[in-house]
Amino acid sequence: MISNAQSKSLTFSKGVQEGFPICVGYFPTAMAFGLVCRDVGLKLWESVLFSVTNFAGSGQFLAINLLASGSLILEICIGVLLINLRYLFMGAALNQKLEKGIHGPKRLILAHGTTDEVFSVAVLHKQELSWTYMMGLEGISYLGWVGGTAVGFLIGMILSPELQMAVGVTLYAMFISLFAQELRQKGVMVLLIAGFSAILNTALILVLHMGSGWSFVIAMLSASIFGALIIDEPETEALP
Amino acid sequence: MNGQIPIFVYILATAGATFAVRLTPYYAKFLNKLPRFVGKCMRLLPIAALGPLVFPGVILDFSPQWYAGLAGIAASFLIAYKKGGMILPILSSVLVTYLVLLV
Repeated sequence: MISNAQSKSLTFSKGVQEGFPICVGYFPTAMAFGLVCRDVGLKLWESVLFSVTNFAGSGQFLAINLLASGSLILEICIGVLLINLRYLFMGAALNQKLEKGIHGPKRLILAHGTTDEVFSVAVLHKQELSWTYMMGLEGISYLGWVGGTAVGFLIGMILSPELQMAVGVTLYAMFISLFAQELRQKGVMVLLIAGFSAILNTALILVLHMGSGWSFVIAMLSASIFGALIIDEPETEALP
Repeated sequence: MNGQIPIFVYILATAGATFAVRLTPYYAKFLNKLPRFVGKCMRLLPIAALGPLVFPGVILDFSPQWYAGLAGIAASFLIAYKKGGMILPILSSVLVTYLVLLV
């Protein structure tokens, strides 16, 4: 894909360039988050603080839903921790590809910017990931997420109730778009795994009345084990 | 909403939980030495997460007009599958959901 001869090409601007589609994708979803925050009763600065300090789409949506339903702070934290567990493995994969000498505060900033989309773009590079490239990639994505949250909150003030409700579909539309792309690239196994987890999660919530934090984790873990059992994957190939 | 604890405490607590998960792999080496099957499962986690991130939320959020969200994501699926991208699929889903909610 990308040869070692080009290893010096992973610059800040390369990161910005590759992160721009992420920024554009985040913006409407973050707007939806800003809208939800406003509906739940948060102030503008609280909504922006949420995105600045958390920078985690599904984690933030889970947190705001649980917050609105009056869950305890511990329950919310456990739910958020579990829903974000995937970052553990994404970070482990990225860490192996980082150039040497990224320590201290640089590493902390880099870790804060690890998201699903940043991971899937960065991990495709064959060469070492430089600090400046990662800052470009993460920075522009971060801008889209934080900016979108503020804009969404402000727009919420002028939308009709029907339109506000309709905007609530953006989060799901984002995940479905990701699903469609995965399905096109990797075939029917994506449908089997995501379908398995969707059905399991629905059953756990609607039939067993399980809390959404726990059911999410159980459904996600079971489906990935199911997937690993049914897929005959070549040893070296890494699914992004 | 819980009245006693200020909202920003909740926000910072979830931020802490998120950051802890993000930072661990940059320092803990054991994650690189896990068995192959575990690694395979991990790589499938993002795909496995897509199902529960959509269902049943997309139905419950719009109840009693539960079909509105479904119509919306059907539109985004078709466009994303045929043309790729995210903006157009997302905007179409908002439009379709809005129209269905109006009917």
